[in-house]
Parts: sequence; structure tokens; C-alpha cells
Amino acid sequence: MGLELKNVSYSYEGGTERVLRNINAQFESGKIYAIVGESGAGKSTLLSLISGLDTCKEGEVLYNGKSLKTLDRDEYRSQHIGVIFQSFNLLLNSTAVYNITLSMNISGVAATATEKKRLAYELLAKVGIDRETADRKILRLSGGEQQRVGIARALSHNPAVIIADEPTGNLDEITEGEILDIFAKLAHGEGKCVIIVTHSDEVSAAADRVLRLVGGRIL
Amino acid sequence: MYLLEHAMLNLGKNKGRNMLLLGITFAIITAIVVALSIFNATNLVIEETRTSLQSAVRIVPQMQTLGETGGTGGGQMITGQAAQNQATFTAEQFSDFANSDFVLGWDLQDTPRGTDAVFYLVSPLLLSDFEAELREKGLPENYAVRTDEAAFASIVAPVESLQSLAITFLAVVVVLGGVIMALLSVIAIRERKYEIGVLRAMGLKKRKVAFVIWAENVIITGFCFVLGMAAGNFLSQPISDNILAGQILSNADGESTATTLAERLASESADALSTENFSENLQIDILINATTALQILAISLLLASLVGIISVSQITKSEPIKILMERT
Ligand SMILES: Nc1ncnc2c1ncn2[C@@H]1O[C@H](COP(=O)(O)OP(=O)(O)OP(=O)(O)O)[C@@H](O)[C@H]1O
Ligand SMILES: [Mg+2]
Repeated sequence: MGLELKNVSYSYEGGTERVLRNINAQFESGKIYAIVGESGAGKSTLLSLISGLDTCKEGEVLYNGKSLKTLDRDEYRSQHIGVIFQSFNLLLNSTAVYNITLSMNISGVAATATEKKRLAYELLAKVGIDRETADRKILRLSGGEQQRVGIARALSHNPAVIIADEPTGNLDEITEGEILDIFAKLAHGEGKCVIIVTHSDEVSAAADRVLRLVGGRIL
Repeated sequence: MYLLEHAMLNLGKNKGRNMLLLGITFAIITAIVVALSIFNATNLVIEETRTSLQSAVRIVPQMQTLGETGGTGGGQMITGQAAQNQATFTAEQFSDFANSDFVLGWDLQDTPRGTDAVFYLVSPLLLSDFEAELREKGLPENYAVRTDEAAFASIVAPVESLQSLAITFLAVVVVLGGVIMALLSVIAIRERKYEIGVLRAMGLKKRKVAFVIWAENVIITGFCFVLGMAAGNFLSQPISDNILAGQILSNADGESTATTLAERLASESADALSTENFSENLQIDILINATTALQILAISLLLASLVGIISVSQITKSEPIKILMERT
């Protein structure tokens, strides 16, 4: 797996300033990358380009050497990428476990319905969501619980790249440590590429590389 | 298929929106059922009336010449009602006229203006032959032999009015219904932007999102189809009867003879007409047959698909991140 940003610039429609300016970066399997920077530095924007949720106006995002502009980005997201959003983006009116199984179904995970459900509960348990909580609607979960469901969903289809936007922002230090352990295992144990936007020093410290975004550039 | 399951789950979730959609779809389909079933039934009646009345002929005084002769004292065949411009022959004369190879059967009836007769020809093509024969038998020139247009018109005219009313109503309902459904779906999609953004972000393809929305609409429509058929079945007969009664009344203002003739003719050819009975009120039995049901189903599914298409055009506009950012 190779993920590369080449001279990526981006500005929002209507916005005069460029949010990202001429970004070049490379991400490899088996490593944890931390992206840090002030609020409004463009971190979330960068992640939406990497995860194929948006396309850059200038430059290229290359996945295994192919530009995302030419790839089927829906398939790219459902097969190769797991995204943990800053604002979770879960189906609020559905249960936690349904959010996970739906993601598995969209990604075409090969298993029976009952098997998928069992895997979903297992995955949720891993991030600290017990069965009772898993059967509750997202609406009725705390911010931290929603965040953990978001993490479980990003892992549900076993993607090669995990992209997380402040995944520990709503978690206490103990849970943050547990989640970091999971990320470390994924990167160093299973050879995934983990890209984390974070304000947390603990997360930065656990990363193999830290990219600092200032004024839309990587320092 | 998990998409179908997802659609079903969605239906159970947003009950307020779905009930609204259900109610409106139900109203639209019911209206379509009423309009279309009346239209199809009237079509049938007009067709059958046409075939059964085409070979029915009667002897009619020609108004112009009759007026002249009436003024000068009347022709030899004209009875006491000549002053009213309504002349008849005696039963014996009619019987003589009917004694022809061209006539299959005939029917005599006393009208307030005297005796009148209808002859049923073997074929409508034999009209001129029959007329020539009557002339030989002494039918005066101021009488003509005509297919019973008045009777045909008296039956068909109100039915045709009903039919054009039904087709206009149908067009209005389909167009208006389409517009309402389209507007509703635009609003619904706007309301569901976040949900759709989440699905798209997970990598669900646009056409699959569209399928989910389409499936939801088809399920609602299917449900409303069953309900609408039942309700329409109840409503279309009384509605048809009401409108038809109005049509006959307004029609009868102009031609007072027509109704009685129509009555008689209709009861005479009752077995040819599937409609049982034209007496008193012209009656059309509204039956929702398989063809009508299929047409209604097709229109309903078309409406549901319209909603689907509009929904897709709504969501295909932007990248998933934009959909997510625009959420309320
Ligand atoms: N949809 C949008 N339209 C216009 N400008 C936007 C839009 N979204 C973000 N921006 C702007 O782009 C810049 C970068 O936003 P971004 O969300 O990437 O910042 P961030 O680094 O993730 O910040 P935070 O740490 O607060 O999450 C900000 O100045 C923001 O105001
Ligand atoms: Mg951000």
C-alpha cells in the first residue's frame, strides 16, 4: 500500500484563501502518522482529500500510484479506507451494532448476517462498548460512546488505511490509552497505515511521524 | 439484500414523514383509481352502445317539410299530433314496414306523442335498401329512415361527458400528484441529507442510495395501491352515478323524446349492453378489471420512480463531504 500527496492545494467554494497549499507527503503501511496544527489549519480538509470524500482542485492524491480522481472513490472508501470523523457521522436513528453491520454490508464483507452481527458486537466490545450499549440508538449514546462506535465502524471492513480525525477528542485518558493501543496494534502488528489528526500529546508521542500543518502548509 | 432491509428499517423510523407520504400517495392513487375506472367503464359502454345501436333504425319526420305540410293541413299519414311536429304511423303500418327481409326484429312503443317503432336491421349496411323498400310500401317523402342517432346520442352523450370529465380529472390528478410527490421528495431528501451523506461516506454508491429511496417509495406506493384500490372501488360507483345523473338531466333539457327512446332502446338491447339497465337513470357499472388495475399500478410505480429520479438528481450533485457539511 502506498498513499501519496503530490502538490495538493485546496480552497473551498466561495472561499478566497487557499486552505491547503502545495502539500507533499507520503504515507506507508505499518506506521502511525500524526497530523497536528491549530484549529482551522486545514487538518480535516486534508483528511477528506486523502479519504476520497472530496477531490483536490490542484495536485493529486495517489493510492498505489493511481490518482483518486480516476479511481472509483466509492469503492476506494468502502474497501481500502476506514474513516473516523471528527463529528462521528453515524446513523443517529440506528443502533450502534446496525451502524457496524451496515458498513460491513456496504463493503461487501463475506459472512452471513448472523456472523456479521457477532463480529460487530465483538468489535464494539474491543473499543469498550458492551452489548447493552451496542443495542442502543446512536442518539442515546454519549459523545465518547459515539466516538468509539465510529472507531469500530472504521475498522469493520478491515481497511488498509485508517484515517482518524481527533479520535480521542471525547475520551478520557484511560480510554484514550486503550484506543491508542488498538491503533498501535493495527499499525505495528497488522501492518495498517494509520493517519491521525490530533491535539493530544500522547497520540503524537505514539506516532512514528508527526506532520505539522501551519497556514495550509506542512512544516 | 441489505439495501431492501435498510429501506424497510427507514420506513419504520421516520413515522411522521412516512405517514404524510402515505396519506398523500393514498389520496392520489384513490383519485387515479376513480378516474381511470370510470374512464374505462365509459369506454366500454360507448363501444357496446355503438355496436348495438348501429343497426337500430326508426322513421323520423323531416322537420322542414313536416312543418310546411303541417301548416297546410297535414299529409295523409299524419295523425292528430301533427301540430306538435310529431307524427306517427299506426301499428298496422309499422307491422307492414317490419315485414321485410332486412329486418331482424322490431319494437313498438306508445310514447306520449303516439306510437313509434324501432326496426333492428340484419346489418347497418342495409339502411338504404330498407328505405327503398319502405318507399315502395308508401312511405311519404317527408319521412326519412335513420339510424337511431337520437337514442345513441342520448345514451352516449352523458357517458361521453362523464368520460371526458374522468380523463380530465385523471390528467389533473396525475400531473398534480406528480408535482406534489416531486416537491415532497425534494423536501424529504433535504431533510435526509445527513443520513445520505453518511451512507455515501461509507462508500455506498449513488445508485444504491437511490435504490434505497426508490424502494421506500415503492413499498409505500404498493401499500397505498392496495388501500387505494379498495377505496376507489367504493367511491367510483357513487361518483359515476352522481355525475351521470347530472349529465342526463342537462341533456334531457334539450331533447325530451330522447330519454324515452333511449330507455326503450336500451332495455331492448339490454343483453347486448353489459350495463344492465338504462331505465330511469342511465347506469354504468364501474368494474375495476385486471387491465384497469394494471394501468393504475403502472401509473403508481411511475410516480414512485419519478420520486426516485428526483432524489437521485438531488444527491448526485455533490461529493459526500459537501452533503455532510450542508447538513442541518
Ligand atoms: N465548507 C467550508 N466552506 C468554506 N470554508 C471552510 C469549509 N470548511 C472549512 N472551512 C475553512 O477551512 C479552514 C480549514 O478547516 P478545517 O476543518 O480543515 O480545519 P481543522 O484544521 O480541521 O480545524 P479543527 O482543529 O478545528 O478541526 C478553516 O479556516 C475553515 O474555516
Ligand atoms: Mg477538523
